[in-house]
Amino acid sequence: MRKLLYLLPLSLLFFVTACGDDDVQAEETAEVNLNFKATYDGDDFYTENIYKLFEGVDDTDIKFSTFDFFIGNVSLIKNVGEEFEETELLEIDFVSLSFDPGQAAQAEAGVTIQGRKVPAGTYDGIKIGFGVPADLNRTSPSEYGSGDVLSKTSHYWSGWDSYIFAKLEGLADHNGNGVFETSGVEEGFTYHMGTDETFTERTIFQTITLEVDEERTVNLNLDVRKLFRMTLSEYDQDDNDLLDVEDFPGTHTDAELQINKTMMNNFSDAVSLQE
Amino acid sequence: MRQWIIFFLLVTTLAAVGCGGDDDVQEVTDNDLTDIPYDPKTYEIIVPCDYPEMPIPADNPMTIDGFELGRHLFYDPILSADSTQSCSSCHLPSGSFTDNLPVSVGIDGIAGRRSSMSLLNIGYVTQDLFWDGRSATLEEQALLPVEDPIELHHSWPAVVEQLRRHESYPEMFRKAFGISNTNEITKELAAKALAQFERALVSSGQSRYDRWRCETGFLLTESEINGLLLYTNEDDDHPGCTHCHSREAQLFSDFTIKNNGLDSVGPTVEDLNNFIDKGLGEVTNNVFDNGKFRVPSLNNIAMTAPYMHDGRFNTLEEVIDHYSSGGKTSFNIDPNVHSFNLTTEEKEDLIEFLHTLTDTEFMNNPAFQNPFEE
Repeated sequence: MRKLLYLLPLSLLFFVTACGDDDVQAEETAEVNLNFKATYDGDDFYTENIYKLFEGVDDTDIKFSTFDFFIGNVSLIKNVGEEFEETELLEIDFVSLSFDPGQAAQAEAGVTIQGRKVPAGTYDGIKIGFGVPADLNRTSPSEYGSGDVLSKTSHYWSGWDSYIFAKLEGLADHNGNGVFETSGVEEGFTYHMGTDETFTERTIFQTITLEVDEERTVNLNLDVRKLFRMTLSEYDQDDNDLLDVEDFPGTHTDAELQINKTMMNNFSDAVSLQE
Repeated sequence: MRQWIIFFLLVTTLAAVGCGGDDDVQEVTDNDLTDIPYDPKTYEIIVPCDYPEMPIPADNPMTIDGFELGRHLFYDPILSADSTQSCSSCHLPSGSFTDNLPVSVGIDGIAGRRSSMSLLNIGYVTQDLFWDGRSATLEEQALLPVEDPIELHHSWPAVVEQLRRHESYPEMFRKAFGISNTNEITKELAAKALAQFERALVSSGQSRYDRWRCETGFLLTESEINGLLLYTNEDDDHPGCTHCHSREAQLFSDFTIKNNGLDSVGPTVEDLNNFIDKGLGEVTNNVFDNGKFRVPSLNNIAMTAPYMHDGRFNTLEEVIDHYSSGGKTSFNIDPNVHSFNLTTEEKEDLIEFLHTLTDTEFMNNPAFQNPFEE
């Protein structure tokens, strides 16, 4: 009988330790957040701020009203032999860097996205997906409750059966009269990117050592001007390797789908890891 | 002098009793209510096919009694200082819960600055309520018109006192929220009840557009289909309506706040101060937000004229003419506003399509009508 009494607490102890996500809890973890900021050719990026798009070639003033994008399949990577092991930080989230000069404090702080806890240790880099991963892109906003990152009706287009992975909207003063116009002269641009094939991944190799219980913020910067890089000559502006915003102000026609793909691909080059 | 004081007290007492909209106020406001059963039953919001699930805040679950209390409060002029107006004075079912006026007029006969917004599917709006986005939730929003001097011009402490003394509201609050005593009736609970009623105001699924989407064999006319294509087409030469009035989830709004080019205030940043009604800018004190207003849903749009935040356009034709012109210049005009050309026939088709969003079944739903007229 006494043996049985010993067995009971032992078995209870076994139950307590066996239940739940023991693998995660038993590990020594660290927390990793991602902080996003934007610049424009080295300057701080603000919506409603005026920048030069084609300086020297075609002196076009440009200003933005919206810059936002989804990130998906973000993970830390570790070199194990000839392969890379991925530790997922987050599956999907949304980043809006649409801060005007009246929101300078927010712009300076950037947007911080909380990632999952990951095992402490040394990693060799971080992989970031720009857009909505294909499995999630098969869903649509009506399948999500308000507040869910994928419930954004503003970022889904049924014409593509796709989320709008990124939006870059603004006005460009093409006629150089110092006025940004939407009537008469067409000066608005609305680049809405999306579809599975444009999902872009970038792996940034840099040693990231995470101490146990550390809360680390990985700082990332996006240079918005680099999103306008255009290698396809038919959409190029005066052979300066930049998108012709005047003749191709959107990404909605079939022809402009090439712009859509290129701009999403440009995220790969536009993002950089900051100290 | 003493006679004057007695006379004054008599008059104020009479006024206090008379203003409540009910003649049967009780004298005591500290009544135990625990004899009244509290048995909350969930109010199921039935949404049409392919509408998203209605988000319900955890601290204000929908109940049948909560909805019913909210409906009574919504239609009861007890919420106004002189008991002449209720929420429904500016949000009438016959106008898809608008008043079909350019701007609403409060109890003192003072015209407000803005048009009342339709409450159809308002429960899906989980941020930036009002034209200027000043309230984050329906519960927050419901508190404001009562004390607005150009709306109901009452005070919540007075309203709460009237509700506590009322012959039927204490029981309704008990059934809705399980309070034990009349003195637990608060403005926050009243706002919760109003929010519950408002969340129930969802589409019936009987608009021509919803039936076309959901019913096999239900067809739109050729003109309506042409209009739908024009509405949806995002080529640069077309309206691009869906950029702001997103068709996704059938809600016909992306619920953002934008400057849609209604006023020409000048091209510079400084000129943004020239907006007479600054909209969001009035809330944020950020000049770049001046002239920005919430993108309303287009469900039942044909029933909610006049249009825009100040009711400046009487017809949908005028609205389309505005957008096809490319809007008026201001520094922060939304880039999605751009000029386009429609033939007369195309314009008619586009309007025909907008009429398919008319949901009279919703407006005539007996559950949403004035309970004091039943």
